[in-house]
This record gives sequence, structure tokens and C-alpha cells, in this order.
Amino acid sequence: MNDLAEAVRSAVASVDDPEYPGISIADLGLVSEVRVDGGGSVEVDLVPTFVGCPALELIRADVGRAVGAVSGVHTVEVRFVDRPLWTPERITGAGRAALAREFTVAVPLPGLSSGRCPRCGGSTDELSAFGPSPCRAIHRCPSCGEPVEVVRR
Amino acid sequence: MRRWSDLSEFEAFLDGGGMVEPGDAMPDEYRLPVFRFIELHANSELMGALTERDWIPMAPGVRRKQILMAKTQDELGHAHLLYMVAADMGIKSRDQMLEDLFAGRSRFHNVFHYQAVTYADQVAIAYLVDAGALINQQAVFKNCSYGPYKRILRRIVAEEGFHMRHGEEMVLRFAQGSPIQRAMFQEALDRWWWPTVHMFGPPSKPDDLLLRWHIKSDTNEVLRDRFVQKFVPLVQGYGFTVPDPDVRYDAEQGRWEIGEIDWEPLQATFENLGPDSSRRIETALAAWNQSAWVRDGLDQVAALHAASGDQAA
Repeated sequence: MNDLAEAVRSAVASVDDPEYPGISIADLGLVSEVRVDGGGSVEVDLVPTFVGCPALELIRADVGRAVGAVSGVHTVEVRFVDRPLWTPERITGAGRAALAREFTVAVPLPGLSSGRCPRCGGSTDELSAFGPSPCRAIHRCPSCGEPVEVVRR
Repeated sequence: MRRWSDLSEFEAFLDGGGMVEPGDAMPDEYRLPVFRFIELHANSELMGALTERDWIPMAPGVRRKQILMAKTQDELGHAHLLYMVAADMGIKSRDQMLEDLFAGRSRFHNVFHYQAVTYADQVAIAYLVDAGALINQQAVFKNCSYGPYKRILRRIVAEEGFHMRHGEEMVLRFAQGSPIQRAMFQEALDRWWWPTVHMFGPPSKPDDLLLRWHIKSDTNEVLRDRFVQKFVPLVQGYGFTVPDPDVRYDAEQGRWEIGEIDWEPLQATFENLGPDSSRRIETALAAWNQSAWVRDGLDQVAALHAASGDQAA
């Protein structure tokens, strides 16, 4: 039973976000709860970053496929829940480091909309709340000039 | 600020995998073609977003509308970022680039010079054109020597890959649809196949500066071939016909060959004389003018905040 739960959890964590290949949905703080019963029924509760996120159906399908492939799993239900609310604080240290390193995307500082420039560490200025996706704003780093996308709260 | 004493020293720097950053004293022989390439990319994202936007009210069902809204926002965001990077090269300001685009003095990708007639065209674009764009962008990302552009391409490539999955899903729906739906997609394919083949550009010249400066990593022919080898069998596999009477599989070489390419339509788009060029440019200008009040309002709010020293906004 514990082995199965462990295998299911790592299957969920093996799913990458469709917009950030190489970064797990677990590192982005999307996974709320994973329940596994003795009969191999699995329920996965996920937290959407934004309700209008166009990737939700893909993420649901990817998680369903990954969990369904675990031996001993009979049924999988993947749900998007409205509690808890997603906040950037849910992103793990590894997730932050990968976003900065691989995608030049910063996570906002506590209580602020600005983040630290992944290039030089300077504090970013917001230019537009509307970036290329609902969950990212466009900023610029005043110190080094880099256009930086910052995750929105 | 880094400087290079001459072009050959600069070229050796690039050949060694060096990355150029905005503060560097890059030679004008580099600055100008790289700027033009990024400006073309920015213009194309903006023109693409406006077309996509037109289809939001007509897309079938909430989910398709949601995807189109997301793609529209995505492309506008990319345009915004790319105009920043282009403007930072110090050749034209963002306003100048937009003015030139709306006056028909600039270029944008050939595929945005045609009209999308039905929703199936929108799907053909999501399937073929987005795939073509992804092939081009992956190749630029791989070898890109201009730092800020490479970093933005990293995100664009990830997002285009995600769009592709949606395009594939929709093509599958058409392929499994009624005879009328299948015919609808075939007609769209007939309209969009050749513009997509053109999208990789005319045959590269041996002295293509963008290859020399490590912006492009492959010739236009290599990229086009990558598309042909992948998409001819995919399109046929879904039971649709590639609108090229000469397309054939060369069993000996193990590869697909397409018929001769007529370059005339591509040339026309270079001069903004494609079938839908003027309507597209007029629509873009109208959208820009209609949204002037939003920009004015934002400027006034920003000025008020600046005057009161309020940084929180």
C-alpha cells in the first residue's frame, strides 16, 4: 500500500508543466493532495495557477496517463480544486531555480509583484500585467536592462 | 562593454560560442540584420495575434475560445517582449517599428498575408503554420548568438510546443469528423499547404549573414525539408491529400520529395502585395487607433503615480 502510494506520488511529480518542459508540476506547487486506496483507486487534487489557464486539460490528461501507467492502479481521477488557492509561494526552491535558469522567469518577492532579475539579481519593474500567459507579467530589470517575465500572484 | 577590433575577431568570438549582449559594442554588420530579423519576428507575432483574435467569437465551444484567447494573449506578449529586445538594439524605437508596420513599410511573415476563410483554416494554421514556426524557432534558438533574443526564444519555443499539441488534437477531430467536416479541412489544407512551404523562405544564399552571425543555424532548405519529411506523411496518414500533384516517396532515398515551388506568391508578400495584405494592415492600424484611449489612460495614471512618488503601482 505505501509502496503504491509512493509510486503514484512520484508518477504525479514526473509530469512536466506543458509550458515549462523540464519543470515538474509538483515543483510549481500544482499538486494539492494525492489519495490512494487499497483497491488501487487514485484521486489527484491539483491547484490551477489561474482558472483560465489553457493548459489545464493537457495537465489533467498527462497526470491521468502517468498515474494510470503505475502498476496496481485501477482508476484515476484528476480534479482541479478551488481550495487551496495557488500562490507563487507554492513554487519550490528547485522550481524557482529552474524557472530563473532555464526560462529567465522570476517568482515575485513576498507581498510584492516584483521579482529578482534572474540575470543580475536586481529588483524588476513591471511594464505590463499582461504577459504571454495569464500567469506572467512583463517586467524589465532596471539594473541590467533584461526583459524579465515575473509570475503573477 | 566588450569591443572587437575587427569583424574577423568578432566572427571568431561567435564561432567559439560567444554570446552578444545589448551593452556590447557589436559591429553594425551584425546589429542591423539581427535587428531586422527580430523586428520581423515581433511584427509577425503581432499580426498573428490579430488574426487569431478574429476567430475567438467564431470558434466552436468555450474550450476552443479559451485556447484562442490564450494564444492571442501569448502572441501579444511575445510581440511585446520582442519589440523591447529590438528597440534596445538602438536602431528604431518601438513606436517607429509599429508606425512602419501599420504604414505598410515593414515586413511580417508570409502566412499572415492570406485570409483564413473558415474555422478549418484556423486549425490548419494551428497545425501547419505553428509547426513551421516551431521548426524555424527551434533552429534559431539552438545557435542564437544574441543573448536577450535567445532567452526569449526559450520560452516561445516551449509555448509553441504547447500550441502544437492543440493543433494536433483539432486536426484529429476533423479527421474523425463527418464527410462535410473532412472536406472543410481539405479545402483549408489546399489553401495553407504552399504558404507554409514558403514560410521557410527562398533558398538561402551562400553569404546569408544570419547564418554567419549564428542567428540561423540551418539553411532555409534544410528547415523546409524537416517540415516536408514530417508533415507529408502525417497529413496523408490522417487521410487528407497534400495539394501537390508531384509529391512522392522516394523509396531508394527513404525520403519525401515535393514538386517544384512557385516563388511568385512569396515574393508578393515581401512587398505587402499578398491576397490579404492590405486588409490585414488596415485592420492592425484600426486596432491600434481604437486602443489609443487605453494607452493614454495608462500614461496618465503612470504620470500621476510618478508625480506623487507612489511606487506601489
